[in-house]
Amino acid sequence: MAPSRYVGILALVAGCLLPSGVHALWPIPHTLETGTTALTVSPFFYFDVQVEGAPLDLYEAVSQAQYYLANDKLGRLVVGRGANDTTALVGANTLSTLTLSLMSGATVEPIASEAVKPLGTRSEEYTLTIPADGSAATLVANSTLGLYRGLTTFNQLFYYYGGVTYTLLAPIAITDTPAYPFRGFALDTARNYYPVTDILRTLDAMSWVKINTFHWHITDSQSFPLEVAQYPELAINGAYSPQEVYTPSDVQYIIQYAGARGIDVLLEVDTPGHTSIIAATYPDYVACFDETPWATYANEPPAGQLRFALPEVVNFTASLLASIASTVPSSYFSTGGDELNTPCYTNDYPTQLQLNSTNTTLNDALNTFTLATHGALIAEGKTPVVWEEMVLDWNITLSNETIVMVWISSEDALAVAERGLRLVQAPSNYFYLDCGAGAWLGDDPTGNSWCDPFKTWSESYTFDPLANLTEAQYELVLGGEQLLWSEQSGPENLDPIVWPRAASSAEIFWSAQQPTGAPLNVTEALPRLQDLRFRMVQRGLKPISLQPYWCAIRPDACDLTA
Amino acid sequence: MAFSRYLIILALVTGCILPSGVQALWPIPTTLETGMTTLKISPTFYFDVQIEGAPSDLHDAVTQSQYYLENDKLGRLVVGRGANDTTALANARTLSKLTLSLASGAAVEPISSEAIKPLGTRSEEYALIIPADGSAATLIANSTLGLYRGLTTFNQLFYYYRGVTYTLLAPISIKDTPAYPFRGLGLDTSRNYYPVSDILRTLDCDELGEAIQINTFHWHITDSQSFPLEVAQYPELAINGAYSPQEVYTASDVQYIVEYAAARGIDVMMEIDTPGHTAIIAATYPEYPVADFANEPPAGQLRFALPEVMNFTASLLTSVAKVLPSHYFSTGGDELNTNCYANDYLTEQQLNRTGMTLNGALDAFTQTTHGALIAQGKTPVVWEEMVLDWNITLSNETIVMIWISSADAAAVAGRGFRIIQAPSNYFYLDCGAGEWLGDDPTGNSWCDPFKTWSEAYTFDPLANLTEAQYELVLGGEQILWSEQSGPQNVDSIVWPRAASSAEIFWSGKQPTGAALNVTEALPRLHDVRYRMVQRGINAIPLQPQWCALRPDACDIYA
Repeated sequence: MAPSRYVGILALVAGCLLPSGVHALWPIPHTLETGTTALTVSPFFYFDVQVEGAPLDLYEAVSQAQYYLANDKLGRLVVGRGANDTTALVGANTLSTLTLSLMSGATVEPIASEAVKPLGTRSEEYTLTIPADGSAATLVANSTLGLYRGLTTFNQLFYYYGGVTYTLLAPIAITDTPAYPFRGFALDTARNYYPVTDILRTLDAMSWVKINTFHWHITDSQSFPLEVAQYPELAINGAYSPQEVYTPSDVQYIIQYAGARGIDVLLEVDTPGHTSIIAATYPDYVACFDETPWATYANEPPAGQLRFALPEVVNFTASLLASIASTVPSSYFSTGGDELNTPCYTNDYPTQLQLNSTNTTLNDALNTFTLATHGALIAEGKTPVVWEEMVLDWNITLSNETIVMVWISSEDALAVAERGLRLVQAPSNYFYLDCGAGAWLGDDPTGNSWCDPFKTWSESYTFDPLANLTEAQYELVLGGEQLLWSEQSGPENLDPIVWPRAASSAEIFWSAQQPTGAPLNVTEALPRLQDLRFRMVQRGLKPISLQPYWCAIRPDACDLTA
Repeated sequence: MAFSRYLIILALVTGCILPSGVQALWPIPTTLETGMTTLKISPTFYFDVQIEGAPSDLHDAVTQSQYYLENDKLGRLVVGRGANDTTALANARTLSKLTLSLASGAAVEPISSEAIKPLGTRSEEYALIIPADGSAATLIANSTLGLYRGLTTFNQLFYYYRGVTYTLLAPISIKDTPAYPFRGLGLDTSRNYYPVSDILRTLDCDELGEAIQINTFHWHITDSQSFPLEVAQYPELAINGAYSPQEVYTASDVQYIVEYAAARGIDVMMEIDTPGHTAIIAATYPEYPVADFANEPPAGQLRFALPEVMNFTASLLTSVAKVLPSHYFSTGGDELNTNCYANDYLTEQQLNRTGMTLNGALDAFTQTTHGALIAQGKTPVVWEEMVLDWNITLSNETIVMIWISSADAAAVAGRGFRIIQAPSNYFYLDCGAGEWLGDDPTGNSWCDPFKTWSEAYTFDPLANLTEAQYELVLGGEQILWSEQSGPQNVDSIVWPRAASSAEIFWSGKQPTGAALNVTEALPRLHDVRYRMVQRGINAIPLQPQWCALRPDACDIYA
């Protein structure tokens, strides 16, 4: 009996010595063929950009790829971290070049221009081929954005040991294209402020997993950090401090930085709820400002919502949104619309006076308000984006182009789809990164997170974007995103609370299935996600550990039933 | 109606302009008297150490205190962050020095010597007086350790606005002494490795000693997953058991950490968990552990019934313990899995040959390992199962850590042992992060939910105990197990939550005598958290900043 156990241990050790078949790619490509030949990256390796009139941001992307290739220095996640690969590397062929080119007829535009094209018109697909014999690797795409996606993949293919950067899996042939056009990450910078540098670092990490939308919930009831040229008082009175603001040049810089990384910035100025702090500048525009008990008037303190029934508030809001939207290149702009509290208006004298004098209902007033604000955005060439309540809780007229974000529950997607509107999947029961941190309200020691428990990467990963929908409704699903609401977050915990978890939706909406056609599977995914997480650490990000390191270098050894 | 609302707004704004009565102190002192006079720190402020033969670590502590005084630059947590204090500051008196002295007859020893004295014999009390008229402030204690605690408090008293460091609450008179002798933080450095610099940061500006008066670093240094501790007599354990040659704690690392901690009033209590949680020892001594069942992978526990394993373990613990100055050493003893041995040929053979039960073998093992530690002058510390699940003989001096549930303290106290409160249902910092095992997407944290600072803060150290048993409670600690943690999130998962137990066990109650209360505590904890951020610690925000600047506005029933 004892001897048989020793045999088992030996088998385990032997398994660890063999090169693992784990691919480090995340998100996993559409098609993927690999061999078993070792190939080292030449010390003289270079990216050969065969693109006439290549834009500056493509060259910057190549420089970045070169930097990662030289500096990732990620050891393979096996016992020994690649020490057992040295014999395979001795006589290995050497890769000297990756040639980048566009398909014939493709137009040459900056990545940043491609990244902000309307959803469905962006070209993110690419083909990457790495021969086993050391001849030049090739990356071909229909756009610079596609080349950018391919570079991201290329960087994930290589490991490092003892001064050598290599793959064990040549030849490699990848053809890749996203399953969904919208793959986002959302950040609330109003509950707590994030310095610009933290946002830039987050954009970098997003680009590593091919996330293409930064949904920036930039204002809320607690603070208004956005400096708006036409309404400077909003930030002067509404930012937490003169330092905790996003200036117009900050916003432009972030947009440009994002664009060069294939990321569109979807700004959200949430209205008419989530606007209490506007009262610091326009007290007449806000109902139930700081009323108590706050719980009667808002989902969280401070209470206060725009008096959307008043014509001057309608005009102000439309003008505010238009003046912000006119300065951003994205085709999309979110007006929010979640958690609108009706008791706030019940005893609000100006609102009731207006409703009575015009003989309108609150719902009609909201309809008028939304038509005006959305009309102003549409006039700026923007497609409005709203939270699900605008469709499910209110009877208002929305343009057919309107995009609806599902957040309360994954169950709600069907009802939105039945209204024929396009949707983005952001369900709190799978994708809210802030869940599970306990109650943050004071005087509530036994309180729990409203969306408890914590959403692990694997729970998120099991989300089915098409659940409950009819086949005819599938095309309404533009994609999805994970979100960080910042009641209990700030720059101090941004990296660990977001990463690597936010990579789950990135793969769901890029890959949708395994290259074999099998559904995505947490057991198959975990070793790849570990790879991504350790690569992120190498690049200076601070993602959490998913497991003890002992498990990370022994795929499947820590599965529940292993 | 609209008009009356505006009045309310005005009243609210006015309230923000008035100096808030919030004290920034954490843990709150035993007695505390404050006034309403503004007092500024002089640009030429200095610490006047009136102690003959003051040890160098006291001078270091003073230097650190001076640094914090100048660099914390913490704005008051009110709307405007102190902008409304400028008129009060215009004619304020100036504080030029703090005089440090020891009570007459007090022996002058290094802080680091005082910090490692046996529990109950350390002198941490101090008296701090800051007159309102600008005359010298005084800090008096019975030991350098007490002075150190007082300096920590002194640093928490001051805010900053536009070049001026000040308090609005002079005169201030504080007498302070800890309610419990043991106030700890537990860290597992085996599931994932933490570089020495992360441990120093955790010990340092630390929030442990220098901000919140924690006095014990409970270092769970090895486990089944890795053995990062280099032991001179058993070098192969780390060579084969550390995650990599870089992910180790060398003998000099350990000594440096121990000294660094002690200079900050912190005793390092090391734990080498045995006989469970030892699978990785098999990488060096494959015949010593048996690998079948465990609470988490990898399985593997010492074959404690074998005489050679007993001797090895006693020798290993001794060689680790003898180089450490602490009086305490933990041999662990949690989660011992009996299935593991049921089919283990070597164990069964030994038990059959000697006619011993598994329990009898564990008793022999423990007597041997504990005997070896006691011979080194150490008091053994064990997890609760050693008392509650097994019938073994433990020295009366043994300290027992409660972890499975706060409900278990009474049973341990019933056995007459001293206890440290580390209940998972209040104090485990890792709870609530979901399942970490693979292939279990709907799985949850075993000790879900996340323990917020306020949930932890409601822990009652004396619950269910008889008055006669109260003295058995030495204190308590919050703990980070590292299945899902590492240097990337150590700050944010530990701070400021670990301050909750620090106050429970230092303060015990409010200065008024009232029980600790989460509503009273939150504004002070915000203060600590923002001060930590100023000192470079990545502590999580507890609430939106809007709430942090408006005490009580975000209470659930506000």
